Amino acid sequence: MPQVMVVARNFMDMVAALPASKLDMLYDSAFICEAVLRSLPPLAKKYALQMLYVSAPVVASAMEEWVLSDYATKHRVAIDKLLQLRVFVEVRDRRKEVSYKMNQKFQGNMQKYLVDGGSLPREPMPSSVTARLPTLTELEAYALEQWECFLLQLINSSQIEGGSSFSLSMMRTFQRGLLSSRDGEAPRLTENGFQFLLMETNAQLWYIMREYISSAEERGVDPTELISFLLELSFHTLGEAYSLNTLTDVQRIAIRDLAELGLVKLQQGRKDSWFIPTKLATNLSASLSDSSSSKEGFVVVETNFRMYAYSTSRLHCEILRLFSRIEYQLPNLIVGAITKESIYGAFENGITAEQVSLAL
Amino acid sequence: MTSKVYSDDVSLAVVVVDTNPFFWASAALPFADFFAHLIHYVNSLLLLNHLNHVVVIATGVSSCTYIFDSSDASASGSADVAATFAKASRKIEEFIAQDARCTASNGSVADSNSASLLSGALSLALCYIQRVFRSGTRHPQPRILCLQGSPDGPEQYVAVMNSIFSAQRSMVPIDSCIVGAQDSAFLQQASYITSGVYLKPQELSGLFQYLAAVFATDLHSRTFLRLPKTLGVDFRASCFCHKKTIDMGYVCSVCLSIFCKYHKKCSTCGSEFNRVMPDLNSMPDQRQ
Repeated sequence: MPQVMVVARNFMDMVAALPASKLDMLYDSAFICEAVLRSLPPLAKKYALQMLYVSAPVVASAMEEWVLSDYATKHRVAIDKLLQLRVFVEVRDRRKEVSYKMNQKFQGNMQKYLVDGGSLPREPMPSSVTARLPTLTELEAYALEQWECFLLQLINSSQIEGGSSFSLSMMRTFQRGLLSSRDGEAPRLTENGFQFLLMETNAQLWYIMREYISSAEERGVDPTELISFLLELSFHTLGEAYSLNTLTDVQRIAIRDLAELGLVKLQQGRKDSWFIPTKLATNLSASLSDSSSSKEGFVVVETNFRMYAYSTSRLHCEILRLFSRIEYQLPNLIVGAITKESIYGAFENGITAEQVSLAL
Repeated sequence: MTSKVYSDDVSLAVVVVDTNPFFWASAALPFADFFAHLIHYVNSLLLLNHLNHVVVIATGVSSCTYIFDSSDASASGSADVAATFAKASRKIEEFIAQDARCTASNGSVADSNSASLLSGALSLALCYIQRVFRSGTRHPQPRILCLQGSPDGPEQYVAVMNSIFSAQRSMVPIDSCIVGAQDSAFLQQASYITSGVYLKPQELSGLFQYLAAVFATDLHSRTFLRLPKTLGVDFRASCFCHKKTIDMGYVCSVCLSIFCKYHKKCSTCGSEFNRVMPDLNSMPDQRQ
């Protein structure tokens, strides 16, 4: 099997790939420092904390003493990660001994955090202005619906009714790599695309965000600014309203796109408008997937390859359609059969048998 | 299906803080400074992972109470951390005042050697941890950190040991950081039995560095790290009859209660010792 996994797990890899000057610029914001620190492996976090009030460089060999000798690889991984993200900076003295010291901006921001505690990027709007805010469950439902709608559109752009604000070119960017279009044919889902559909919501979100950011330059937007805004967004309180007036122009354009993805909900008041971060947004900087928000569903596959899926989601139906023949659809039940033809069809699209059995 | 939804280093840290006024009146480190170090520490734990959960318990001479809970702070929506900590410090002041009244009304002799209610605080901490365990499907890794200054109270021996054993059973390590002048035999045993870290910092003005370097380490990373080892553990027990710490004594052969002198009948289980005991030196039943 070709190794073309859709690598979407880690946002920080992308941050680490930024040039040093851009990265240092990012560390001007305390939120980014916080998000970066939280994304580190546990051991690296601990090192960062330990070095927080140490201003002089520490010799690398002295640091190696911190861990038990059996776990030197863990130590290397942690240090490499810290260097990669420029949390630690390598210093060489005259005798060519390597020592590390902490990035000063990072250190300063973190020290401030410890004294003041974390603050919010911006004040929520008073409830007197925002008449009625959606409840958390409503918000979550909204986010999921928006996201599902987006996914549907992604895999099957012709079928969707109700236009979206995403321009066609933008949609293309997202679809790049996920769909392959041969000349004169409708675009088909590639192996990557199929894997993408099977990922958890958070991982999918990352993938899309990464494409979104990497395509930023083409649209004339500075990716650094976008990254910092996205990270900032994840520190907003879930379900609170924030005024759009506090945003810069770039951020305002971005927030419309994010609303389309279900990361925020935009609301229009009498005078001003505001956005409400949803769970998708607040989970953004947490690289762990604690939002197992995928809808419950059951799939029963009989030995005669008939398949019953209890799901109301059109997305599930679309996924199943990729490798099976859908026979009929009831409001909460999809009945189909896995046939020779449907499987061959799937194989032709580069979907492997393993992936199919994984999906079921 | 219990999938692993938490990453390795999510911790639930319960910090037990000694607020014994008799100790702090004569301590090398002023309480205000100590409290600042503590807040730094709590903040740094919260910084490390947004799922980390920190609870602070204050122990006075005759009572103890919860003074800070990070889940309250975030749930109430007021993410204004400065205000939360102002509230915590107000709470601690109230607690100290109330504890002083409590002690006065108890009429117990409160001299400069009086101990803090460690047993109560440990029980509170363990209860909290059990509650978290039972409330949801997702378990952060729990641990307890005791910041103790005042000397041990031998009269709490049985209660403290029981807490230690229940911590051991529920696999909760008890870390101890001694901010006072003398080592604590209770906490040495606690950390030894529950495989926590026992540390008596040399330089108290740098308390935060000790806290950050040693006690902020999550349980997962502890397996890799070289952490301070306890040199010697004071295993001495207290007798059940006079609550004195003893090196040598009599142990009931039925229930293992410890007495400093010979009794005809065990006060704990009621067994009668009808054999005539020779003097202590010829028949010593020594605890480890």
